[in-house]
Amino acid sequence: MQEYKKISITKDEVVPVARRMREAGVPLAMIHGFINDAGKPNISYEYEVGSGIESYTVDGEDVLPSIAGIYDLAAEWPEREIMELMEITFEGVDTSQRLFMPETMIEGQGHIIVTPMDELIKKNLGPKEPAEEQGKEAE
Amino acid sequence: MSYIVPIGPYHPALEEPVHARLYTDGEEISRAEVFIGYNHRGIEKLAQQKNHIQTLVMVERVCGICSHSHALAYAMACESIAQMEVPKRGQYIRVITAELERLHSHYLWLGIALHIIGHDSLFMHTWDERETIMDILEEVSGNRVNYGMVTIGGSRRDISDETKTHILEMLDFIEKSNLRLRDILLADKTVALRTQGVGVLTTADSKRIGAVGPHARASNVPVDVRKDAPYSSYDDFDFNIAVWDSCDVFARVVVRVLENIESIKIIRQALEMLPAGPVNLGLNKLPKIPAGEYMVRHEAPRGQLCYKVVSDGGQNPKRVSIHVPTFKNAPTVPTMLKGNSVADAGLIIASIDPCFSCMDR
Repeated sequence: MQEYKKISITKDEVVPVARRMREAGVPLAMIHGFINDAGKPNISYEYEVGSGIESYTVDGEDVLPSIAGIYDLAAEWPEREIMELMEITFEGVDTSQRLFMPETMIEGQGHIIVTPMDELIKKNLGPKEPAEEQGKEAE
Repeated sequence: MSYIVPIGPYHPALEEPVHARLYTDGEEISRAEVFIGYNHRGIEKLAQQKNHIQTLVMVERVCGICSHSHALAYAMACESIAQMEVPKRGQYIRVITAELERLHSHYLWLGIALHIIGHDSLFMHTWDERETIMDILEEVSGNRVNYGMVTIGGSRRDISDETKTHILEMLDFIEKSNLRLRDILLADKTVALRTQGVGVLTTADSKRIGAVGPHARASNVPVDVRKDAPYSSYDDFDFNIAVWDSCDVFARVVVRVLENIESIKIIRQALEMLPAGPVNLGLNKLPKIPAGEYMVRHEAPRGQLCYKVVSDGGQNPKRVSIHVPTFKNAPTVPTMLKGNSVADAGLIIASIDPCFSCMDR
């Protein structure tokens, strides 16, 4: 079993931890997020330390500093992904272009991880397919 | 004269959709951008609506090439939360399937690369030999893709003595053909002219952007989860990490053909040392995964695959996060494209062995 260690940190410690890891040559495996029981985001920065993972976790913050300036695209893409999937902001990350979601689902309309499935199904996800329209006309 | 040349989302050189925008100065690419998300299926969201076994089956369908890797990583994450110890025979069978998958994935990519550079005779030869590996996978699992070999707590199927003998015989054939392929690729002029010095990703850039897998190893970065953080008994086997220092498309070809040799070595050892005993923990009912979270890493054919599973103790996972190798390697594409000609763009994009279905999920 691979080793996994969880360490709680505050929002202010995110950048110093990332800087310390980068200087030590530690790769960033991923940035991960989910919604905790209180309905707030739980974001963890997973670093490959030796043969294990050290998971630095910030709980309950809606706005976090970006570490893209430290880990370059290895952090920028995961941060943009989390911003699209969850209601959280990484300060300083360029969100002028979509990453995963269709254009109609960015700018607060997506966030599929935090939106209940039944609400997601009801959402207007953009123009209907021509075939779908034709089918309606035929009816 | 400056132009903006769009490539994709649908392009003959791309197996799956991605969009690249090339800013050119004449024939030379001065800057490039990559746009992803054309295959987003919301699999992480869907996982929250399904129980652990249904999720295991679903994540196997994230990718049609490295399907076993996804199921294996998800199962390992669940087993780690539940502190399950998978029987040794089950671990070995997982390794055998993973390495067969790596072999067929590398053969597939080598064929595509050869097709893109115009060496169609060797492309067909490579894919013909890949069929032998697919036959083994079919014999072991009953399927050519989506093998269904993994369950939470072990492997779903055993490997009989008869199948074991047959695989060992087939491996002799594959090894011989792979060595021949290696010799051709290292000496062939067409391959050299189209790949050497093309799409360079320096060691420093590879580390800066965080490339993984064969793509990083072709930039002389010796990273491999099987060695760095051994799992599923990988530390029982003797194998080397293949690296190459020319950092170009040629290096990516060479690394993969060398890795095939190592995979064959691992499969042979795993079959010869296959321990007796059960292949799984015999969990016939829906496994109980207690509250907790765990992140595991697996060396998929394209590189490090990360799965993080959060469980609240219920039947469904609370959250499944999937970070695939292409998500790490795709950001390197603009750096590799810069300074190259437009004609090589398709080859350079394909050289990361992208799987956009994996990446978009």
